[in-house]
Amino acid sequence: MPPFDTLNRAWMVWDGPAPAPEEAVLEYTRELEKFLSEIERRAYRMAQIALRDPDDALDAVQDAMLKLARNYASRPSTEWRPLFYRILENGIRDLQRRRSVRKRFMTWMPGAKQDPDEEAQDPLDNVADAAPAIPDVLMQGQAMQQLEVSLRALPARQREAFMLRNFEGMDVAETAAAMGCSQGSVKTHYSRAVHTLREQLGEVW
Amino acid sequence: MSERQPAELRDSIEDRSRALFHDSVDGLDFAMRSRLTQARNAAMEAASTGRPSWFSRIGIMKPAGVTAAAVLGAVLWLGSPLGHHPVTVVDGQTNLEDLDIVASADGSGDAMDMLQDDIEFYDWAEKTAGPAASG
Repeated sequence: MPPFDTLNRAWMVWDGPAPAPEEAVLEYTRELEKFLSEIERRAYRMAQIALRDPDDALDAVQDAMLKLARNYASRPSTEWRPLFYRILENGIRDLQRRRSVRKRFMTWMPGAKQDPDEEAQDPLDNVADAAPAIPDVLMQGQAMQQLEVSLRALPARQREAFMLRNFEGMDVAETAAAMGCSQGSVKTHYSRAVHTLREQLGEVW
Repeated sequence: MSERQPAELRDSIEDRSRALFHDSVDGLDFAMRSRLTQARNAAMEAASTGRPSWFSRIGIMKPAGVTAAAVLGAVLWLGSPLGHHPVTVVDGQTNLEDLDIVASADGSGDAMDMLQDDIEFYDWAEKTAGPAASG
């Protein structure tokens, strides 16, 4: 930092009328709401891909919104996106953990029904064998279903890296902040995810 | 295998998946968009008022309920005879007898006779123990 940088900044702040605390709060509240409205649909879809259940996905997104708004609203807006996705991913992991515990418990219950997630037919079953002419025939919805199935099959960290980098458009540094790991790890996870997806989908698409 | 694929195909997988994802985001139905807006409003309101919304309040109430139950249990345990000494039928009867003596305001009956007996006994005990205690 240049030696007089702080002084320069202080002078710049002094030069203009500093916003009153209430105004500042209102300003970042408005900014935060705008940020959330821009991000919410993508976040929801990502959560839905990971969790499959729309209600669980909505809960995870709402919880992440609340935690961000309550605990990190005063942080610089550039930090919101990685923070939000970090909170969201933690919420998704919690829900998945709870679900697996419930599933384990249910298997011990006499007369317990199978998990509805497992009862649902695997969309990949409907996909015909890869033939040269098939990719052109595949409908967009089916292609998305295939993608979702393949993404769910990925290890959580790889899926996370792929979705944040490719769907959300985050750079490596931002993704590393969101995932709480090094930039090198992000590159590795992403590369492995792309490699696996290419193997699974490349020939069909 | 995949390494031998041309760069165009490699790019197309990432590009296509991104395009599909964004199409699916754009294709979210009105009901879900509305629910997301409601969720955002609830989060913003809860954050601005510092008051948790209904769903997070459930999360807060769980530990609070457990704590309240623990405190209530401790109070009942310490406040009851159970907390001081083991209760027996004899103790219960003694307490009832004591209560009976105090409650009998008319001064008649067996309770008052028993109290009179006790006074005489204490008088006798004091006299008997007096010389021994002084000697």
